[in-house]
Amino acid sequence: MSDRFVIFNARLIDPASGRDETGGVVVESGRILEAGAHVRPPASPSPADLDARGLCLSPGLIDLRVKTGEPGGENKETLETASAAAAAGGVASFVMMPDTDPVIDSLALVDFITRRARDRADVKVYPAAGLTLGLKGERMSEIGLMHEAGAVMFSNGDQAVEDAGVLRRAMMYATGFDALIASRPDTHTLTRGSVMHSGAFAGRLGLRGAPPEAEWIALSRDLILAETTGARLMIDTLSTGRSLEVVEQARARGLKVACSAAAYSLVFNEIDVGDYLTYCKVFPPFRPESDRLALIDGVKRGVVDAVVSAHDPQPPEDKRLPIADAAFGAVGLETLLSALLGLVAEGRLTLLEALRPLTSGPADVLGLPQGRLSTGAPADLVLFDPDAPWLCLRENLVSRSKNSPFDGRRLTGRVHRTYVDGRLIFRRG
Amino acid sequence: MADLAYAFSKRHLLGIEGLNRLDIEDLLNLGDRYVELNRRRVKRADILAGRTLLNLFFDNSTRTQSSFEIAGRRLGADVVTMQVATSSVKKGETLVDTAITLNAMKPDLLVIRHASSGAVKLLSRKVDCGVINAGDGSHEHPTQALLDALTIRRRLGDIGGLRVAICGDVLHSRVARSNVALLNILGAEVRLIAPRTLTPPGAAGWGASLFTDMRKGLEGCDVVMMLRLQQERMDGAYLPSAREFFHFYGLDDEKLACAKPGALIMHPGPMNRGVEIESGVADHKDRSLITEQVEMGVAIRMAVLERLAAAAPVTEPAP
Repeated sequence: MSDRFVIFNARLIDPASGRDETGGVVVESGRILEAGAHVRPPASPSPADLDARGLCLSPGLIDLRVKTGEPGGENKETLETASAAAAAGGVASFVMMPDTDPVIDSLALVDFITRRARDRADVKVYPAAGLTLGLKGERMSEIGLMHEAGAVMFSNGDQAVEDAGVLRRAMMYATGFDALIASRPDTHTLTRGSVMHSGAFAGRLGLRGAPPEAEWIALSRDLILAETTGARLMIDTLSTGRSLEVVEQARARGLKVACSAAAYSLVFNEIDVGDYLTYCKVFPPFRPESDRLALIDGVKRGVVDAVVSAHDPQPPEDKRLPIADAAFGAVGLETLLSALLGLVAEGRLTLLEALRPLTSGPADVLGLPQGRLSTGAPADLVLFDPDAPWLCLRENLVSRSKNSPFDGRRLTGRVHRTYVDGRLIFRRG
Repeated sequence: MADLAYAFSKRHLLGIEGLNRLDIEDLLNLGDRYVELNRRRVKRADILAGRTLLNLFFDNSTRTQSSFEIAGRRLGADVVTMQVATSSVKKGETLVDTAITLNAMKPDLLVIRHASSGAVKLLSRKVDCGVINAGDGSHEHPTQALLDALTIRRRLGDIGGLRVAICGDVLHSRVARSNVALLNILGAEVRLIAPRTLTPPGAAGWGASLFTDMRKGLEGCDVVMMLRLQQERMDGAYLPSAREFFHFYGLDDEKLACAKPGALIMHPGPMNRGVEIESGVADHKDRSLITEQVEMGVAIRMAVLERLAAAAPVTEPAP
């Protein structure tokens, strides 16, 4: 049993079971054989065993929104570099968005991503397929075939489907395969040309703002269509407190709908755009502080199923521009865990509350076996120090692109090791 | 003139935000001196002899550009003006690369106009010389606000306590933003008059009262500043038509009568006669300050150039 090892003296954080206890995990053949307080330090540890010395051990993170540049934008990020960045951030699985060039909207491309990821990526990569051809919002893609080929969700990427008729028929069709549709709540006619949140700060800076109404209107529309068609829906990155209320009202009526929030929405507010910082130009934009606090509360209460990195690599030539001309997007894989651990350090969340939308929450949205420390689950694990302070500097990021709004910020919590199927894929120091 | 105890020490002039009352008064006082110089037959000062002023205009502007050129020449600087079409910048090197390239030519002062809010600030981070914002998108246009203040001060004296109305497209106006900031510092009461679609979000927090009814807004005003309305705002997106705008927000004798008797009329130019201002009002003999504003523009820019050139770091190695 050469591939068996034990991690002991760990603080186990397993949101799926609600466990926060000192113990260990026994891994064999890439799976968890045993996990819990009863896993004691071995009498004579083998070289493969690890004394965690009190560090936290949790399921490897699952990130439901990552963009890479492959295919078509390899100067931004490849599957290989995205995987390395993920591993450094404790992310063992991620969903890759279809906004590539070409768009992932055909069987062959889903297959290409799957094979490419198997060859080049250490972490598990799950393709999200385009809901409409070319993400144009006009004609539905081959949802059934791509579902069979392993596409875990169907998304129109960064653009919402504007035509409600197209979305409604795609939802109806998707029910035949019980396929998950991820929809970004945005009303483009209200946010076209926007740079940041529409508010007093944008008014002062003389920048065009995105009003939150754009999110609320689209959210309500999508929820109504999901209810009437019976489609499985995930609201992809909601960003305001009022959106959470709308989701909760829909759930109270019996609708099963999932929702995610970007990690940056829990950390930054509109003021952080500061002196026209293009690294802070993201969509959905940084919102007012009241929305940030409401989203943290949504995580605490379990309303938010998944917190995502919304990783969106952009090279300097697309960011070192006047903010109106700069590209949207921020890298986030390497700061995802720290973003939440910072909220734990501030006393806003417990470790279990912070890890749930990074592990069992997204696993349940996709129906994945990982994301939990239970017997038989894949041994995707992350070992981290929840208190370690570090300074995030863009030049130290593993990601090929360095456009992080955390650049220059002090963060809390550092990943020590990342395992995928029992294999050590990242180790710091 | 005796040196003031307070020395102007800013390296850049990116906006009115960041200036204090003493900075502003210093520039206005110096501007007053240059008005006198500019009215002489020989308009030369050699304060900037041997210094290089680079005008970098990414966005067309005849009057601001020539105003800076004349100001620089009258101070004896070597003036180079570059008209950079935004499209060619987009095609090739980035804006930042352009700035780094020009910086290598060692200008002493860089005057920049750009169509994007924040672009001038972005460039100022990449260069060693002093940078003057000649207008960035809808953000700031500080020399316009300073020249407006100089114009008002020369006519009415102390600006403190005056009631000033700023009317028209406040949403897209850098002139309005800079003027609200400056007039507040000098203690004026500021009113913004605009339809809701052209009022910026959060403008209620700027230190100005908001009006949609121009007649009410003009009541008791000492100065009426009109803003230029861009043609593209009148296509039904922000306003139904030029005709309707003129009806409710165009300055004519009838609306002007709501202001204080003898109220002064200003406009940053270029004017759309018959859209935001009626010709007779614009050409009002005693009350229109519009051409005077242009004259003050050169003087205040000379003041700004002198102060920033003095504050600019010395680049040559110490002997």
